[in-house]
Amino acid sequence: MRQFIGSIVRRHPEGVTISMVVLISLAFAVITQGSWLSVGNMQSLSQLTAVLAIMAFGEAIVIATGEIDISVGSVSGIGALAFLGLAPVVGSGLALLGALACGILIGAMNGVFVALLGLPSLLVTLGTLFLFQGVGYAVTSGFSFAATNSVRQQWIYNAVGNSGVAGVNAGVIWALIVLVVLQLVVFETPVGNRILAVGGDAASSFSRGVNVTKIKFGVFVVSGLLAAFAGVLDAAFIGYADGSFGATMELSAIAAAVLGGCHLTGGRISLIGTLFGAFVLRGIQSFLILLGVQPQWYILVVGLIVVLASLADRTLTRFATKQ
Amino acid sequence: MAKTDGSTDSRQPLISIRNVCLSYGNFQALTDVSVDFYQGEMVGLVGDNGAGKTTLIRIISGIIPPTSGEVYFDGERITKFYPKKAIDLGLECIQQTIGICDNLSVGRNYFLGREPTKRFFGVPFLDKKKIRDASAKVVHDFGLRDTVDVDDEIALLSGGEKQTFKIARAVTFRNRVIIMDEPTNHLSVRERAHVNELAVQLKQQGLLVIYITHDIFQIHRIADRIVIMENGRKVTDVPRDAMSAEALEEIIRDGGRTPAKGVKSA
Repeated sequence: MRQFIGSIVRRHPEGVTISMVVLISLAFAVITQGSWLSVGNMQSLSQLTAVLAIMAFGEAIVIATGEIDISVGSVSGIGALAFLGLAPVVGSGLALLGALACGILIGAMNGVFVALLGLPSLLVTLGTLFLFQGVGYAVTSGFSFAATNSVRQQWIYNAVGNSGVAGVNAGVIWALIVLVVLQLVVFETPVGNRILAVGGDAASSFSRGVNVTKIKFGVFVVSGLLAAFAGVLDAAFIGYADGSFGATMELSAIAAAVLGGCHLTGGRISLIGTLFGAFVLRGIQSFLILLGVQPQWYILVVGLIVVLASLADRTLTRFATKQ
Repeated sequence: MAKTDGSTDSRQPLISIRNVCLSYGNFQALTDVSVDFYQGEMVGLVGDNGAGKTTLIRIISGIIPPTSGEVYFDGERITKFYPKKAIDLGLECIQQTIGICDNLSVGRNYFLGREPTKRFFGVPFLDKKKIRDASAKVVHDFGLRDTVDVDDEIALLSGGEKQTFKIARAVTFRNRVIIMDEPTNHLSVRERAHVNELAVQLKQQGLLVIYITHDIFQIHRIADRIVIMENGRKVTDVPRDAMSAEALEEIIRDGGRTPAKGVKSA
């Protein structure tokens, strides 16, 4: 019996988060007398979850290699500003490409410092977090970028913004597409196998012929790309962005990944768990808002959850790997 | 046993190390090491801790480049050192501390770096059935527990089982060189005999086997040639029959100060 439960926990690290989602959803629904579960709340909750999840998926891939990317908040801000800033000038299609290119470039910059030069990712991405936060403030210089009316008519703008299929927001569909692609890449391809191997034991992977530098560089590029895309989705949904756009989102992205069963030591991640992790965080946020609690308390609750989740995670892992 | 009368020099060595030095900052890990390894022979690489044995094989297996000196494989000079290159040349190294990613399954570890794929719409996906079947066969051929599930994390194996796994992995891919770094550490007496038997079989199949150990008596029984290292230098390189295990042990104990046959200088 113990072996059976152990093997389930080992192979499905997201199980805890998913059961948590079910439990707190029930609790929130009961406490708010159903309004938390209402269609309207679920729609806005799913959009918020989707944006956070896309960012957290990139974070999870970086965590898989045993590194961390805390620049994703600023990168999403740059993505949002590049998109809204460029769209009136070059159209939303090219603006989208430009925003994604910004994400790729910042990711590549992180990658060069971490993978090629061997600097600690925590410091490097802390640096780029501030650096591009600064760039964000500089380009907006206290104002905000808003989508013009002509931009709002463009189909690409709507495809990443305020449209949807059968009541499901565009952002949610994008998040699911990203999830499916990444899930296949990480768990079903040789590249994914090597990403996990590098996180598990970089020296051993290297000795087996894995190009550790290339893998680590690649995950930072993917993380930058996805953070910028998340920023675009958020900006196109809201319609404007200012210099502080995306600030502190990196905390939620890391928290979502950790809650979802990604081990910060690397090598073990769950993308489906990360999606649920993002949902839990956003769900708590909307619950607090519905209760009329000051939104500042959200950050406190996130911190508490992350600490408790890592504790539960370690206990469970020990239980599962004990012979 | 192959003939080991020193007449091997007429053949081209499979691996030739010439005047290799390696330093980490001020620390000289290898000093002017020259040694040849031939196809179809088993060489015992012996020496005390810190003698430079592991450093030497790390160069051969492409993990670190030498500071100076030359390395030839099959007559061709190696200029770029990285593990993939060594693996592609057919060189497999069973190392003491690395080679296994604990977080991956047994099957994924088996194929790490050379994963079999099936293409869907041009995208290479892992061929999971092949990974499972091939690794399960190897695991069972090498006598691991029947309860070992190749889909389970390799962290669940014991130290000895992991070592057996590494050897199995090195042996079952078509290779030309097998390097074993202290392969019998952490192994039971029976497992040890099994590993040594395997090493001899590999040599008989025409592979070059480089066997690193502390235990001169153990290796003297099975190797064709013994190379002794001390303080980053090669101090002795003799065919097995030229010296007794006791005489060789004396050289090691003496720290290489007496290259002559066990004659102690005052």
